[in-house]
Amino acid sequence: METLDLHDIQGYIVRGYKHMKFSRYVLLHITDATAAKKFIGDIADSITNVTHFPKTNCLNIAFTAAGLRALGMKESNISNFSREFSEGMTTPHRQRLLADFDSSDPQKWRWGGPNNTEPHLLLMVFGTDEPTTLSYYTQLEQQFTAAGMKDIFQIDGLTLKFNKEHFGFRDGISQPIIKGTDRNGPPEDYVNAGEFIMGYKNEYNVYPDTPILEENQGDVSALPLDPMGTGKKDIGRNGSYMVLRQLQQDVEGYWTFMNERTKNEDGSVNVAESNKLASKMMGRWPSGAPLVRFPDKDPCGEDKDDDYYTKFFNYQDNDKDGLKCPFGSHIRRTNPRDNFEDNGQKQSWKLTRRHRVIRRARLYGCPIAGSPTNFIPETEVGLMFTCFNSDISRQFEFISYTWANYPKFLQLYNDPDPVTGIREVPVPGTEQNFTIPDTPVNKYITGMKSFITTRGGAYLFFPSITTINYLTTI
Amino acid sequence: MTRQNPLTLATPIKSSEIENLEFLLLKMRGDLENGVNEEFENLGTIHYLRLVVLKSKDPEGNVFPGIPTRFVFSTDYDGDEEQHLKDLAAKTPSFLDKLYSCCEGYPATNARTTENRLAYLKQWRIKSAAFFAGAPGRTLPQIKQENNLRNYIWHFINSGNWKNKSPGEIHKAIKENVLGQSEFQWVKEKAKLPSENWLGMAMLGLILLVLLPFIIIWILILHFVHEINDKPLGKTPSQIDATHTRKLEEYEDLHNQNQFTQFLIMRPGFMRLVTFFGLMAFAKGLINNLFVKGKLMDIPTIHFARWIIMDDNKHMLFFSNFDGSWQQYLGDFIDKSGWGLTGIWSNTENFPKTNYLFTGGAYDAEHFLAWSRYYQIPTAVWYCAYPNLSIKNVMNNTYIRNEIMETPSEQASEKFLKRF
Repeated sequence: METLDLHDIQGYIVRGYKHMKFSRYVLLHITDATAAKKFIGDIADSITNVTHFPKTNCLNIAFTAAGLRALGMKESNISNFSREFSEGMTTPHRQRLLADFDSSDPQKWRWGGPNNTEPHLLLMVFGTDEPTTLSYYTQLEQQFTAAGMKDIFQIDGLTLKFNKEHFGFRDGISQPIIKGTDRNGPPEDYVNAGEFIMGYKNEYNVYPDTPILEENQGDVSALPLDPMGTGKKDIGRNGSYMVLRQLQQDVEGYWTFMNERTKNEDGSVNVAESNKLASKMMGRWPSGAPLVRFPDKDPCGEDKDDDYYTKFFNYQDNDKDGLKCPFGSHIRRTNPRDNFEDNGQKQSWKLTRRHRVIRRARLYGCPIAGSPTNFIPETEVGLMFTCFNSDISRQFEFISYTWANYPKFLQLYNDPDPVTGIREVPVPGTEQNFTIPDTPVNKYITGMKSFITTRGGAYLFFPSITTINYLTTI
Repeated sequence: MTRQNPLTLATPIKSSEIENLEFLLLKMRGDLENGVNEEFENLGTIHYLRLVVLKSKDPEGNVFPGIPTRFVFSTDYDGDEEQHLKDLAAKTPSFLDKLYSCCEGYPATNARTTENRLAYLKQWRIKSAAFFAGAPGRTLPQIKQENNLRNYIWHFINSGNWKNKSPGEIHKAIKENVLGQSEFQWVKEKAKLPSENWLGMAMLGLILLVLLPFIIIWILILHFVHEINDKPLGKTPSQIDATHTRKLEEYEDLHNQNQFTQFLIMRPGFMRLVTFFGLMAFAKGLINNLFVKGKLMDIPTIHFARWIIMDDNKHMLFFSNFDGSWQQYLGDFIDKSGWGLTGIWSNTENFPKTNYLFTGGAYDAEHFLAWSRYYQIPTAVWYCAYPNLSIKNVMNNTYIRNEIMETPSEQASEKFLKRF
């Protein structure tokens, strides 16, 4: 197995900072490149890497393509980054892949869209609680303001008990485990480091495409050489691409829909059935317990923080026909495990590993863990979806388009992902349904509605510590 | 059973008219996206239509001497070529005139007749070296009819109350209801479906077995004479001209299906040519005998594909129509038939480093994906008669149609109901 330079890799890709319950993300716009580089140099030593275990605060940093340009990186070097990253999330083609239409149109975004100030740099500040985070943030704020950087968007993120998201489901389960790190889990979750971190072999057993310097600029002495042997300097090694999307959640609409579609004959809410319908769409119960293993009811009356209940399952042995966990459910399509189309189990696991991402969601807004009886949040709520991958096209965009948004998934006709793939306005002449395999006939939930709206987004480069230091010299 | 066939016409464009034709095609593309498609639907036999301006140059812009820029007109259609060409000439004259008045030697405005249009088209035909149809035997009207039937039954099931009914009883109720509808009387006749020809496969296996010693020697010679000297492109996706890729993406993922067009240069030499045509013969054997149920080399998303060798065996043109995105399609190729793909395409220039014909190549995923984009050329106009049906949908709809007339067991009825 390859040895990873853990001290050179930023911590957030390997660790979720679970004990850091509070976070603040701030997007900055650079106005003075020299001052900005000095600021980055000043904070470089405080950036959390994988081997750090800070007690109170963590800090990580990421850059957009515009940000690298603002720091003075040459176009010829920027164009060697992956095209997804250098073009950004809002091109017309990417808009189709990510289904950012109607209210989610980048034209209407709050940040990251064509009508917003260009984000250059993202600071992610984490702390054990709000006061510790904010006092650390205030210091940073003084520094970046003095460096002429403008704060264009900031948002505070929370982690709820049992890692629930606002619809009320436990999130962040079944993450891939990067081979060569100290994390543990089911064997099928171990994935070659190159799927997430550049400079190592990926699941095709080749090195992922990596940004190399076409023309040397700045102090390149500490940079490694391109592993593909072009003889050029590699600034990608130990770095990753980060996807950031602000997804607003309509918790009220979501549970009203579930309640309405499952109500008793007298019109009253059928809590058990409403919960079950929402769980069929998710593929897991609110506690995180998978339907494949617990098809009839949620085994955790009291939520338990126990891997036993949430992991260790496959589809082919126990649910080939989707009678327990529908083929179209969110978790079955976005991570098909041993049931990748009609491949055998071993081949399926192998192919699935080529389309995984490391997710790091943080919630925003007044916290609520939605349920059939509790679904009116006090403020706008949603989550800051974050994920890491080394090939945005083959990983994040593939999962979004081919698995989630694509209504023809497997043998289905009109079924996009019921949680994340429904279009607000359906394509003319088409329906949006959710099929629940059942006997003697399947059940169909027709007229599916979208409860998630994209409010902003960006593709970012999440560099190694070496590259962060290098960037201060360009 | 009516066969589906590929038509390819490659016609030299008058050099003064290239820009005009490109402009015309761009407008046609826009109109088509806005639903203007009568010209394409007129015949009722065209599954796909693709128009391409085939520039006479490699991706670096080096011109192929002595070969003009050509207009490629291609269809995947029902029936035989003679009739198809006649239909085109007779039923879509204004469409042809618009396109071909930009091409060399087309009859003058006042001299055009159905006959001379037909004669003109015939003169530019090119044969396909191999052709794949995902759902062989399904005509266009049949695909549409069967989809209407499936939708009708789906609504019937979804609006019924099937409590305490057995699968067999439900099947019977569906059958009775469908047979009571005047528009579905055609279901009484089952659709003929091709099935795997195991005898043919055994023959193919036998031939391979007999030839195996020669094949092994051939591959060894190929390796030590050619492959070790072959130059791969050596680019990764980020090193491919972004403008080129963006242009291709403009016309991708607008629907649930996509198109892929590649124009490649064959590696020179007799050995390469023999290898290529040998593999084409092998592919044809598999396509005719084995890949008759919606999958090409286990890839379950391809509607039609064709390989064309042209310009005195110097160039290859590859067309396919498939479900889902480019990334999925190319990924499937690597994951499911990387060896077959490598065997065929490694005979073209700049293909990723290949060893012993079937290894390396496409399995070098990053370089292979970059190479794929590098040799891909823009499709100017692409029409699909059923953009909302996947090949799996098409297959499933025929199975529904055939199973409806049966009197199945409870178990078979259960399976039938799972089709919805």
